Amino acid sequence: MFLLPKGNPLFENLAATKLKLPEVMTKLSSGAFTGYASFVFQSSTTILVFEAGKLVSVLLEEQNGGRQTGFEALSALAELMVTSNSGAMNVFKLSKDLTMCIHALLQGEILYKAQELKLIDIKTLLEKIKDDQMNGCLRIYTEDRSAMIFYKDGNPLGFFHDGSHDIETSSTESQKIAGMPGAKIDLFSTQGVEELMGIDLLEVANIQKIWETSVARHQLDTDKIQKERAERDKKSISLKLSDLEDQLRGIVIEYVGKVGRGIVDKEISSLGGNACIIDDAGSTKLLNAIERAAKLLISGTNTKLLIEKLTALITAAKSEL
Amino acid sequence: MEQLVELFTQLNTFDLIQVIFWGIAGGISFYFSIGNARVWTSIAIGFFLIFLGQAYAINPFTDYYRLAAFHYIIGTVAIMLITHGFLEYYVFCKTFEISGQKLFVYLATVAILTASGLFLYVNPAPGPNTIRNIKMIENAIWVFLSVMNLEIIRKIYDSIRDSTISKAFIAFAIVFLCIFLWKGSELYLQVFQWDKDWQDILAVMSDDSSDIDLYPLRVHFSEVVSRYAGLASGLSVGGTFIYLYRLLK
Repeated sequence: MFLLPKGNPLFENLAATKLKLPEVMTKLSSGAFTGYASFVFQSSTTILVFEAGKLVSVLLEEQNGGRQTGFEALSALAELMVTSNSGAMNVFKLSKDLTMCIHALLQGEILYKAQELKLIDIKTLLEKIKDDQMNGCLRIYTEDRSAMIFYKDGNPLGFFHDGSHDIETSSTESQKIAGMPGAKIDLFSTQGVEELMGIDLLEVANIQKIWETSVARHQLDTDKIQKERAERDKKSISLKLSDLEDQLRGIVIEYVGKVGRGIVDKEISSLGGNACIIDDAGSTKLLNAIERAAKLLISGTNTKLLIEKLTALITAAKSEL
Repeated sequence: MEQLVELFTQLNTFDLIQVIFWGIAGGISFYFSIGNARVWTSIAIGFFLIFLGQAYAINPFTDYYRLAAFHYIIGTVAIMLITHGFLEYYVFCKTFEISGQKLFVYLATVAILTASGLFLYVNPAPGPNTIRNIKMIENAIWVFLSVMNLEIIRKIYDSIRDSTISKAFIAFAIVFLCIFLWKGSELYLQVFQWDKDWQDILAVMSDDSSDIDLYPLRVHFSEVVSRYAGLASGLSVGGTFIYLYRLLK
């Protein structure tokens, strides 16, 4: 994503995941905000450009370079705000002219793209910009450095380069990058401020609806995940209980013989299933019933040992589950 | 006191030893019934009642016919209680159900014996022939239920073969085998009217004759079996309950 001039920062690093897109939009729109808002997430960055409270452009750029604009970008932004764990929102106030140039950079008409500087006559190009009274942005860059020159009616508004935070009046850095080997340019043009004022994406897109759809979809996904997790947990507990029941049955058989299987099965069944093993009241009833039956089959000493062993097993299982 | 001394002097040694053994067995089984699970209560109380049933031999008042008849009724109730206990144990082995209260068994036993006593009280005093009939009924029930108990014990053993207590059921099987021989031989003599009671009745109360002299060997053999099997029954019951007590301690 391009680095953009910060102008006058109104908000920085607000937790984007705690914000509601319709509320943000309403606030910026009703405050006749001019500038841009950026939403920075791990996977992408979205820039919303406002002119006097009107949303003139939206651009979402992913880390892999993929881009979305307009309604798609708004939907994706809403989705990210709802689903992401982290993200930051920044709001920067800019002049109307600079905002127009930012719009040009993001969504303007591309006149040159990755054009090698040495193959064109830069003087002629700059004269053409002036003669055509162009509004837009000229980006000069190499692999690791870049600078931008913003134009209004063919005249430079200012210069912006990597490492700076705001518009500068000196062209030194831009000239330096332009002189580097392998330097390229992009040239973006846009309509004037007055024409841009005719555009308002907020009138076209129902932000509230987009937001609600994203929230509903996320809720659906969350419910589905929770349901799957609950089922997984249930299955896991069921497996553990089944294992516990086998262990319990094994101990009883070890002490009272094979008839112990029937005793355990019958008592667990009459107590409503193996969940009773980890239930306080259920396990007490189960142990009492097993003890009562064991007394008919084995000595008092062995019955005591059996119950102690079962109690230890159940206690350990309770703390684990 | 004189009456008691006279009774002891008249007592057959075997009968006396048998009563003593049954006394020991009855005491052990009654003690066992107190400290153990309800299922054992019927069995233990039943064996204790056998002692009471056998105690007519040392009861100086058996000349009262009602009391003599009551001894035999106690014997009948005894085997019914024992069978009820083994049936309950068998049900436990198959369904693992344990229900009911010990107190109910004690109260039910007392109620049945009281009802039997009332039955004897409201009816005419039984004569020697009636007493012999009651004794024969008692023996018939004992023989039939002993065979039935042997089968129940076999099934119980089959279900709990690998449990600690299973060997005690082998001991109980030996007990019922002895009881079967004891009561079976007595019944045999009674059915063919070769028993001492019938001979006494013939001698005192009837002009009928007996064919007992025609079968001296059979009679003697049956009497010997009855004596020794009776003795072995008392011994085996006492031993079984001591063994059971040690197993369940």
